[in-house]
Parts: sequence; structure tokens; C-alpha cells
Amino acid sequence: MLDLEAILLSLKLAFWTLVLLLPFGIWVGYSLVRAGACKGWIEALLALPLVLPPTVLGYYLLVGLGGGSIFGIPLVFSFFGILLASLLINLPFAIQPIQRAFEAINPEIREAAQVSGLTAWQTFRLIELPLAWRGITSAAVLTFAHTLGEFGVVLMVGGAIPGETKTVSIAIYDKVQSFDTSGAGLLSLLLLGISLLAIALSYGVLGTRKSRDR
Amino acid sequence: MLKITIAQKLPMPLQVSLECLSGELHALVGPSGSGKTSVLRTIAGLRNPSTGHIECDEKLWFAGNDLRGVSIALSPAKRSCGFLFQQYALFPHLSALENVCIPLQNTGLNTGQKKSTALEWLDRMGIANLASRMPIELSGGQQQRVALARALARQPKILLLDEPFSAVDTPTRQSLYKTLAELRTDLHIPILLVTHDLREADLLADRITVIDEGISLQTASPQALFQKPRNSRVAELVGISNIFEGVFNAGNLTWDGFNKQFNVLDKGKIPPGTPVAWVIPPEGLSLHSESGATRIKSTVEHISTLGQIAVIQLHINGSEHKISWEASAAEVRRLSLDIGKATYLEIDEKKIHIMPLRPINDPRRFRG
Repeated sequence: MLDLEAILLSLKLAFWTLVLLLPFGIWVGYSLVRAGACKGWIEALLALPLVLPPTVLGYYLLVGLGGGSIFGIPLVFSFFGILLASLLINLPFAIQPIQRAFEAINPEIREAAQVSGLTAWQTFRLIELPLAWRGITSAAVLTFAHTLGEFGVVLMVGGAIPGETKTVSIAIYDKVQSFDTSGAGLLSLLLLGISLLAIALSYGVLGTRKSRDR
Repeated sequence: MLKITIAQKLPMPLQVSLECLSGELHALVGPSGSGKTSVLRTIAGLRNPSTGHIECDEKLWFAGNDLRGVSIALSPAKRSCGFLFQQYALFPHLSALENVCIPLQNTGLNTGQKKSTALEWLDRMGIANLASRMPIELSGGQQQRVALARALARQPKILLLDEPFSAVDTPTRQSLYKTLAELRTDLHIPILLVTHDLREADLLADRITVIDEGISLQTASPQALFQKPRNSRVAELVGISNIFEGVFNAGNLTWDGFNKQFNVLDKGKIPPGTPVAWVIPPEGLSLHSESGATRIKSTVEHISTLGQIAVIQLHINGSEHKISWEASAAEVRRLSLDIGKATYLEIDEKKIHIMPLRPINDPRRFRG
């Protein structure tokens, strides 16, 4: 049977990760284009979740946050805990495509905006943000899809509490463990569908826009 | 009026001063990498020099020096420069009309007024019918007109043009010449044009500033520049082919490597025995079939005919010197010139222009 509770929880987690991480990703991605000497170090640090095994990140979060709380809500084995973990592990997916998009803007375009009398904020809002929108959409799709599929770090920090921390990926694992292969298959099919849609969005829709925007 | 004096050592040496009057089209000419575009970018405020003074219509845009640092440096947005980029730099996500609306953002106009003003500018550039096109749907020449409309929409105090003719075909270029000529009389603002094409500068500009390796060498009208280059480097850069060296001694010029002297007037500024460079413009040369007291025996070494124009290279007998002479094909026939044939060259002393061997701001200029 379809585990609706897990699906809704996964969607809630992906939604909040996206809402919190995307503005941050735009700010960091934009700032990194102009960053000075320490740019390489910051980039390396932000890319760490790409190579770090999720269980390792989960372990450090578990040890580091264990017993800690925000506004009385415990940070481990809670939705807040897995949200925090999800924000961290998604940093490179949210920042890198946006940074690349801002980097791809011809510096002369920015200068043209400056000599046209635009303020820095107007240049960002009217010129740079619209030109970087493909990178931003791609970051959003990647972050959303990646959050839905995240397993290791969520399990380490959140465990598998139904309705609180048991996301679709963990539900699939649980179902296989309890020999409910058809339930696991159904949920897997759902994640496969979402992943395909995400890929189609970032390659198909964005691809056709590309030729017009160039 | 625009007045600038800028100097810096890094990232590339620059030492430029020039003035551009309202309604004047002033060309900045020099070889690639000579710092022409850097000068334009400095005026626009896209980069700042270490020392300098930039003033437009008696308003200070930049002031600074090495000792006290920068005291005034207005941002590009506050300088009121129309800047036409070499590659146009149109905003690719905006239509032609929206591109021209961008400089009107902070003018206090409402959306409707902005659109009608932008449309007026596009109309003035003859492309109002293309207002809704995206930049990618426009030809190079059309893109340039949109970029020009965008540069002018804010009614700037000066117009800066960075190599506007380098990437367009001949018909587009011709129509742009016409547009520029019209704008010049209509706008009455200083227009600074960067180009590496001297013929173009000669054709369009009221005055030309020659820049080489970041240093402004001479500012003069095109005619004065070709007839009286300030030094041998300017002569070389403006494409004068007959440049020679000699020694100047109180009104008397001795040609190096050839036993010939000329009486040349100067302002008495050159110390006796000074090695100098000298040039002779084409109108100071004539060829004759008979010898004469002041005529120099030469041999025709090479004739290249280009349509109705022939360039004749002569070898001055008894020396290593070669001199080139431009004439009509008819003149070549009249003198029955042919390779290897002897002829007699007359150099009009009054047309000789002598100058220091080195640039004017080089302290060694008269020491050879």
C-alpha cells in the first residue's frame, strides 16, 4: 500500500529545504562571483557534502546536535533535525548551478547596466537575476529531487519515526526489510517518476529556453 | 566640454591628457593594445586610474593622486556617459524597446513615458519597426543601432564609442557615418571615438589624439597630424612612409647617409648638431625626366599600380635610401617610368617637417 504519510513528509521536507535554501543559494552564488582571495576555500567547503558520505555528515550532526534544541524542539530525531541535515547536504546542489549561471554573464553586460545608470540592486533585479534564471531553476529542481531521495543522513539524524522523520526513501527501505516488496516497488516507482520529471524539466524545458536567451 | 588627465603605472601604463569640446568628434587612434579602450573605460568610471582628473561640463567626475589617494570618484551610474560597447553588450533577455527603456529607469518617467521615449530613440535610429525583437533576432548593424539608442536615451553629457565600425559591413558602416554626423550636430556634446583605423578617424574626426603604449603622443586636426607629426613615432603610426633621419644645424638639415643638405625653418628650439627625424609629405615630391641643380638622381625600383593610383619606389643613387611616391597612372605614363629607369627627384624644402627622434615626453628626445 502507498505510504501517504511518508510521501507528504518527504514533500514537506523538500518544500522547506527549497524555500530556505534557494534564497541563500542565490545570495552565496552571486557573492562568490565577486569573492576575492578566499573564494577557492569557500567553494571547497561548500562542495564538501558532494564527496562526504551522508552517513558521516549524519554522524557528526548526531553527535554535535545530540541533546541540543531550538525553542525547546530537540534537533535530533525530529523534523527540524532532518531539515537542518537536508539544508547542509543540499548546499552544493543549490549553490553551484546558480554560481555558474552568474559567472556565465558577460561582464560587459553588467558594465552596460552600470553606465545605463542602474543601481547595484536594479542591476541585480533587472539584469543579472533574469539572466541567471536557468541556473536558479536548475538548482531548485536538483535540490527538490535530491531531498526527496536523501537516505543516509536522514536516517542517521532522524531515525524512522512515522510522520516525523520517516521519509519515502526510508519507508522504501523499511518495506523491503519487512518483505513488503510491492509497497516498496510502488514508492520506488513514485520516486523514479519524480526524478524523471526533474530531469525532463531541467533538460527539456530549460533547454528550449536556452536558444532564445542566448 | 570634457577634460581629462590620467596617469597610472599598473595594470598597464597610461599617461593621457586630452580635451574634447561640445559638438566635437574626437578620435582616439593607436595600434591594438595601446590603451585606447582603457581611456574610454576610465572616463566612464568602469575603472579608476591612480592619478588623474576627469571633468565634464565643469563637474568633477574623478580626482585623485598617488600621494593623497582618490578624493572624488563618481560611480559609472552617476557620470552620465553614453557608452557604445564594441560588442554592443545588449541585454539578451530584453527586447530592443526594453533595452532602451533600461537607462530611463531612474529618470522619474512612468512606464508609458519611458516606452514612448525609448520608441522615439529607436525611431531616430531608423529601427522603430524592430522594437519588439530580441537582440538575437537582430543583425549586427541593427544591434548596434539599438545599443546607440540605449547609450543616448538618458541624454548623456558625453558619448563614448568603442571601435563602433570594426565589426560591421561596409553599407552598415556608411549609414553609421551618416547617423554620427547627424547626431553630432543635433546633440552638441563631446563625442569620443576609439578606432585603430586612421582613415576612418581622418574622415570623421575634428581632432585626433594618437596613443601609443598608453601615452598620448599628439592631439591635432587630421590635416596637421599628417603634415606635422610631432615625432617619428607619430609619423610611423599615422602611416607616413617617407621618414628619414638627419642632423639639424641652425636651419640646415643634412640627410644621414647621403650628401644632401636642405634649408629648413624651425622655431630656434633645436640645439645645433641635433639628430632629428624628418618627413616629406607626398605633395612635397615631384619627378622629372631632366636633371637640374636641386634634383636628386634616382632609379625606379618598383611600381605597383592599384586602379588609377600607382606607388613608385625610388632608390636614391649613391645612398641606401628609398623613397616612395604616389602618382596617377597617367602621370606614370607621361614620365614613361619603368623599373630600372633613371629619373630626377625634386624635394620641396618648404614641405620638409623635422621632429625629435623620440616622443615629446621622453627627456632623451633631442639626444638621439
